[in-house]
Amino acid sequence: MNVDVIELSESRAQFVLSGVSSAFANALRRSMMAEVPSLAIDDVNIYENTSVLYDEVLALRLGLIPLRTDLDLYVLRSECKCEDGCPRCQVSLTLSVEGPKTVYSGDLQSSDPKVVPTETDIPIVKLKKDQKLVLEAIARLGKGKDHAKWQPAVACGYKNLPKIVISGCDRCGACVDVCPKNILKLNETVVVKDEIKCSLCHLCEKACESGAIKISADPASFVFSVEADGSMPCMEMVLRAADEIKKKAKALTKSLSGVT
Amino acid sequence: MAGLEQGRSDKSHTGDAMIPIRCFTCGKVISSVWDEYKKRAEEKKKELGTDDIEVGDILDDLGIERYCCRRMLMSHVELVDVLAQYT
Repeated sequence: MNVDVIELSESRAQFVLSGVSSAFANALRRSMMAEVPSLAIDDVNIYENTSVLYDEVLALRLGLIPLRTDLDLYVLRSECKCEDGCPRCQVSLTLSVEGPKTVYSGDLQSSDPKVVPTETDIPIVKLKKDQKLVLEAIARLGKGKDHAKWQPAVACGYKNLPKIVISGCDRCGACVDVCPKNILKLNETVVVKDEIKCSLCHLCEKACESGAIKISADPASFVFSVEADGSMPCMEMVLRAADEIKKKAKALTKSLSGVT
Repeated sequence: MAGLEQGRSDKSHTGDAMIPIRCFTCGKVISSVWDEYKKRAEEKKKELGTDDIEVGDILDDLGIERYCCRRMLMSHVELVDVLAQYT
């Protein structure tokens, strides 16, 4: 197993994972989307809401706001020793605003300065004169498989590593014109600029009359594109996803060892 | 052409009260750029003197790359101000 990082920033990553089966690549993808916990608003106590939005619509909007999550500080409610909520498994955020004003995610007052909305300019509701909003929101850890608001990965996917082989090119240039990703260039022969960008559409193969260009995909290498919603850095999310797989595998080994 | 916004009046369309927080398809937070998008689109409309403008470059600039996220902003009709009259 080998990992080559192509691009890595706080919010997005691209890497090539090679020497694994597609089942493993998919397990990693699913783990990122459904198994890595993150914080999101789960319960909302509404004391006053005279805005144009219904309480439940407001609560959904609040839930979808990504919150910065430090997974070393919080535990899942189901794994917490307390009975009904403690500072280890939940955070309270309050909101008290009077119109006329547009309420933004940055107006939420958190009881833990580390747990704040990742973006401060998400509009929640626009209040007119005499409209008022007073509420308390409880954020908890949760997993993407229970609700999309707990999913730290956004648009996370992979494709097989493309391989482009050119031999016996007659410089007709048909493939260069037809490539939707613009990755082919005509020098002495056709050369490939950025192989990884190829979408495996095979249009160049069809355009090439002499059959000089061959597109294939490496079945054991995967180009991952991962985007995080900001609740944690992309790198941490991928590592935690791998840890979750490990945890599951360990639990399976343990339960199987009892079987003789 | 990519990113063509049709001229329309708010009254003839159904819409959401507020811009959805995230893209329905991929889950990216798109609402945070709504105010800026709206501002730039209005400026462009005024500049060109028409409601039929192309907003592709604005969306690119705001980092809204995928077409699932782009349609969220392009097709949104903000109705809070209309609804506020009836509360």
